[in-house]
Amino acid sequence: MKLPYERRKALYGYGFIAVWLVGTILWFLIPLAESLCYCFMDNDKLKPQKGGMNKEWLPFKDGEWLKNFRYAFRVDPHFKQNLLSVLKDTLYQTPMILIFSLFIAVILNQKFKGRGFARAIFFLPVIIATGPVYNIINGNIASTGADSGAQFSTLFETDMVDQLLEFLGVMNISDKLSEVINTVTTNIFGLVWSSGIQILIFLAALQNIPVSAKEAASMEGATAWEYFWKITLPYVSPMILANFIYTVIDSFTKTDNPVMRLVLEKQSDWNYAYAAAMAWSYFAIVMVVVGIIVVFVNKFIFYEVD
Amino acid sequence: MEQEKIVTPEIPAADEAERTVEEISAAVDAELSEARASRSDPDHPVASYIPESAKPDVHEEHEVGEGMTKKEAMRIRMKSMNKSEIAYLRRRRIFDKAWPVFRFLILFGLAFVILTPLLFMLSYGFRERQDMNDPTVIWIPRHLTLKIMKQTISAMGLNSDTNNPLVNTVILNLGCSICQVVTCAITGYGFARFKFKGRNLLFGIVILMILVPTQIISIPLYMTFRFFLFGHVNLIDKMMVMYLPALMANGIRAGLMIFIFRQFFRGLPKELEDAAYLDGCGPFKTFIKVMVPNAGSSFLTVFLFSIVWYWNDFYVTSSFFMNKRTISLQLKNLDGLLNIEIFNNANANISAREKIVWFEAACLISITPMLILYACLQKHFTEGIERSGLVG
Repeated sequence: MKLPYERRKALYGYGFIAVWLVGTILWFLIPLAESLCYCFMDNDKLKPQKGGMNKEWLPFKDGEWLKNFRYAFRVDPHFKQNLLSVLKDTLYQTPMILIFSLFIAVILNQKFKGRGFARAIFFLPVIIATGPVYNIINGNIASTGADSGAQFSTLFETDMVDQLLEFLGVMNISDKLSEVINTVTTNIFGLVWSSGIQILIFLAALQNIPVSAKEAASMEGATAWEYFWKITLPYVSPMILANFIYTVIDSFTKTDNPVMRLVLEKQSDWNYAYAAAMAWSYFAIVMVVVGIIVVFVNKFIFYEVD
Repeated sequence: MEQEKIVTPEIPAADEAERTVEEISAAVDAELSEARASRSDPDHPVASYIPESAKPDVHEEHEVGEGMTKKEAMRIRMKSMNKSEIAYLRRRRIFDKAWPVFRFLILFGLAFVILTPLLFMLSYGFRERQDMNDPTVIWIPRHLTLKIMKQTISAMGLNSDTNNPLVNTVILNLGCSICQVVTCAITGYGFARFKFKGRNLLFGIVILMILVPTQIISIPLYMTFRFFLFGHVNLIDKMMVMYLPALMANGIRAGLMIFIFRQFFRGLPKELEDAAYLDGCGPFKTFIKVMVPNAGSSFLTVFLFSIVWYWNDFYVTSSFFMNKRTISLQLKNLDGLLNIEIFNNANANISAREKIVWFEAACLISITPMLILYACLQKHFTEGIERSGLVG
């Protein structure tokens, strides 16, 4: 029997993804659905026993089935607070990371002596920052003891900044501005250490800017400033969106952010249903925020049509 | 225009004289006509400047390029420029001089921020603990020693014969990474080059894999492995627990890898495959014989990242391994380990500040293999991603 070419190709397509499909159903989709079910089960009875989890649904009547979510948002003293702080942190840290990494990428894309070496150093966080080493050197692991963290922060919190700000404060610069500068300067460690991949992606995008655009700009006598706004920014704008999504996902799935810590805490206390409800509502909220921003930002992106 | 002026001294003399004469004569014509128009106004800058400088200017321009220094040539040329051009040039020159200095300062400062923790490890890992209490010791230790290193190694169990974390980690890393890269490449190719029903929906699942944090599915996944095959097999604490998902393209950050491979294969020219098909190759043979050899650098990049991610992971391993030890798990539990081995000794009397020595030593031990890997293959880490088509 001979199948038409298109049909045969489609079948081969299924063949190529078959392994992944089976794996995904087994190790991803089923657990995902199950954890969604946990949100609507009785927390007190949801305990592992011989042969699997002991599952019992919450009764489906007058709001009783939302009990776990009610616990997360009304009863738990930390969840709402942590959620807000994570959202706030992510929202103001993401633009900072994006601007910073674009800036560094533009610099690293210029020609100068020792560029390879500089690049190697700036990509170093990519290797280290995902592991427990980062937590230790960042002083965030409780077990390290506060001393290590304090040591590191004193290294970067120079009094110079404070004094400069005080001086500026005398000159009637608003407190808001000095506050922003202060957060940037004290966060420089986290900023540099969490933008390795972003720099990498931006750098790749910068190298994909066609030579013809560069030539045209230099013919017209564009200054570096104009070149950045008229050439660089439009060409890297799709990657700004990609980097934005990456940064947000990265920061909100980190095990050391307060909500994730709370979820893990609940899991280790055998409160699986509460943990699932918290994790899912957190996930949903973040997805909604990301979705809104993506739709909004998409309008300003320049896609080169081939 | 500006660019041209700076470049001209390097251009052969004849060529440049020709052009400048033309240019200058055109400019002089324009200026003269303007001067004639404004002769009635003696304060006009052009009126006062044209008569004596118009002709000599042309002569001087001829000499540019004949063994003149750049500076002199520039000065002569500037006579024929108007004010805003000169101001522009000045600004530009200042910027060109100042920018490298600024760039160096910025890069140096930030590189210092990145390298500080590493220098810290080097400095702290090899000193005696009493150096921590010595205010004169900051970076260079007074008592160099390997004792702390040795103690940390034995606390982490790196010298034990059974269940050695280093051996476990290496086996796990290499096995999982190889499995994962192969299966993700196959899957990525399937998504990139074949049209089939529900492809977009299935690719949506890949995106979902990138988005959903592992923490959400870890408990049900644990139950799946604990009661595998309807409760007949307990996979917890077996290496299989990591190998099985990796074998089916579902290991750590598999979604991202599938995405990278799909982007890469989409970027390869279609003619490659068409030629293979015409010669009678089946799709699988085409993939192995034609596509894989072309994807070498992409494979290497993803493989390296996979190794790094598996090396650094402690969440997934900690949820599935109870007694099996890996390096990042040992690092995560370092405090407890050190307590048992060293700190609980009542005679030692170790302060919190002194403990840092051991922690930094452990950090150094656990990142050294990755640093060596990075140093050797740095090009593939950074340039592979550019070529792998993550962009575009």
